[in-house]
Amino acid sequence: MTTITYPLSRIEGHARVVIDIHDDEVFRADFQAMEMRGFSYYVQGVPAEQITVIVPRICGVCSTAHQVASVKALEDVFGVTPPPLAEDVREVLLLGQLIQNQATSLFIFTMPDRINADSIFEVAEAKKEKERQFSIAQNALRIRKIGTDLISLAGGQFIHPIKTTIGGVTSGIPRQKADEMIKTIDTLLPVAEELVDIYWEMSMEMGDRIGSWGDDEPTYYLASTEADNFRLNSNRLRLMCPEGKECQNFSPHEFESYLQLEDSDYSYAGISSFQGEIMRANSLAGINLANSMGTPKADAFLKRFVQTFGRPAHAIMFFDLCRGIELVYALEKSRQMLECDLEHGETEVGYTPRDGVGYGLVEAPRGPLIHHYEVEKGLIKNANFIIPTVHNMLAIRRALMVAAKRYVSADGISSELGRAVGRVVRAFDPCIACATK
Amino acid sequence: MEQKRELPKFAVLQLSGCSGCEVSLLNSEEWIENFDLVYMPLVVTSNKIPDDVEILLVSGGVRTDEDIHNLVKGASRSKKVIAVGTCALSGGVAQIRESHPARDTYMLSSHRLRLPDMLPRAYPIDRFVNVDIYLPGCPPTPELFMTALTNAENAKIAPIVCQECGRQKLQDMRPTSITGMRSGVTLPDICLINQGFVCVGTSTRGGCGALCTRPGHACVGCRGPANPYLNKEPKFVLDNLRRVFTRMTDIPEEEVNAVLDSPWLSLFLDQFTDYTQDDSLPIRTKEKMI
Ligand code: SF4
Ligand code: SF4
Repeated sequence: MTTITYPLSRIEGHARVVIDIHDDEVFRADFQAMEMRGFSYYVQGVPAEQITVIVPRICGVCSTAHQVASVKALEDVFGVTPPPLAEDVREVLLLGQLIQNQATSLFIFTMPDRINADSIFEVAEAKKEKERQFSIAQNALRIRKIGTDLISLAGGQFIHPIKTTIGGVTSGIPRQKADEMIKTIDTLLPVAEELVDIYWEMSMEMGDRIGSWGDDEPTYYLASTEADNFRLNSNRLRLMCPEGKECQNFSPHEFESYLQLEDSDYSYAGISSFQGEIMRANSLAGINLANSMGTPKADAFLKRFVQTFGRPAHAIMFFDLCRGIELVYALEKSRQMLECDLEHGETEVGYTPRDGVGYGLVEAPRGPLIHHYEVEKGLIKNANFIIPTVHNMLAIRRALMVAAKRYVSADGISSELGRAVGRVVRAFDPCIACATK
Repeated sequence: MEQKRELPKFAVLQLSGCSGCEVSLLNSEEWIENFDLVYMPLVVTSNKIPDDVEILLVSGGVRTDEDIHNLVKGASRSKKVIAVGTCALSGGVAQIRESHPARDTYMLSSHRLRLPDMLPRAYPIDRFVNVDIYLPGCPPTPELFMTALTNAENAKIAPIVCQECGRQKLQDMRPTSITGMRSGVTLPDICLINQGFVCVGTSTRGGCGALCTRPGHACVGCRGPANPYLNKEPKFVLDNLRRVFTRMTDIPEEEVNAVLDSPWLSLFLDQFTDYTQDDSLPIRTKEKMI
């Protein structure tokens, strides 16, 4: 038996792919998280109201989602409803994170695969495309920065934000800052659309070159956005069956009746399934489950996507294209929201802490994220983090198997395999720090 | 672009952390013009740190045997080592100590899966390699990153967070209990301690621009102790904080103590000062701190 190990770069966290080959045949293909963060252990015994400062540190890439989910879970425990203004500021915060994350995944993590480069900062020497590539990198960072600026505006700082607090937000968004942001978005939205177009083309070329868009077996999809309202500060989860019908709709309180969570024996990350069946979360799930995005430019991209690839679409490389649709949506939507008055009005309400159980749901960039807490005598007795990446673990494994089989034969192991496993894993944009909470 | 090859080589080694430090670095884009990024697995396909690196940034704590290996190797190939983030300076916000039940879970699989072994605790990086510059923060702001990369020697950093906060400490507004968190509103421009929050900006190193306190969230001390408390026992920082609360509030001492001992502060303050327990650590001089 031969075992090949591929360390992975251009993903969040430390992970690798391990492939076992038996008699010229792929026997196993595992995606291994190599670290264990362990936050669900440290927070046991912590005063409940302090957990919102600690849990963003689970992950610096999606700290925003963790912070909001954590606050929502405690609001559920304490029975407090934040004022509408606070809900809107939180939505802007989450949109900022979606922009930051999708821009990072598209342009920094996966675009190099499409141009056969090691990174977008590496400028191809000989190619006449040099100039073009350089401007792509610069524009990508400018778009990404809109996301981080929005998080700073709505969250105080763009990593481990602090403005969302139990009962609301500490302050709104001043008009002048909102107007500056709107101006930036107006300048850069066309740039973003163009980048998504370029990315789309590059992906089509890559698909042709490789001759495959990856694992395309029909699968269940999980998202917490609504069919006609892509709100990220979400309240319910939806599940789509492989043939494309929405077959389950449930609140985060009921997640245990729908999602099975278990440890895995090959990785520090857990796995989840719908009654034992493989699921997928993240961009493709949200887009498969959406009738419309509700903003004109994103809707045009959605239409193009559905017309070209059908609905539901299943090949894993579509995840990347769907990130593009979400990116355009988040830019348009945050612009819309910034036009409203997010400065005046009630930003937070008081609350009285009490013991109990609570659930906080948001649609994080990688899919639905739930924080589930049990509070006893003011302390966290148990904390359970239901992580979007974990919903994709079985799907990643299957997709790796599909790719590995393609490149391993009696003639040997193709040198393309290393690149292929990277592409497969990055399509799911996994977050290892989160997955080993 | 042709001169690009002559730019100083720059590498980013991520040990056990959350990637927040790297994400912050990505926002201080100016390094793209000034440095040649040769290693940073988060954004570049790269398997090893090359020789002759001018500046090595290290984020994350030393938590596994693999971390030690990568750190020692990386430092030996680099002229200057900068420790970035609370984790690299203190071991990390995600501490699993020897007695922690989570360790057993980890150890159970590490050998079988040929995954890295976990050390008895997460260590700061200067326990293993010489550190030239320390850049605390969780994470440090992009501006601080640029200072560390280009102007560490002449950096002017505000001594404490209060100096950058802009909120005013009032004489006649003395809270009688810790209520801040639950009041529902935060008054702008007035010190959060006056409003019943436990803010530790008075002992915490500035330079962050008071990003938390300005919009109304108490400082939790992520940049660690201000200069007077460097290399001191946790007690020094905590005693100073106690004095601040006695001076400014009528909150009963037990109530203040309960918060000062609580996890969200220990997340930072305790961890920073914890290194005073470990003799094998070098003294950190204020000249090396940003
Ligand atoms: S210092 Fe903070 S931001 Fe940096 S790696 Fe550690 S937890 Fe993440
Ligand atoms: S104690 Fe906190 S709120 Fe008060 S001035 Fe200092 S940093 Fe600002």
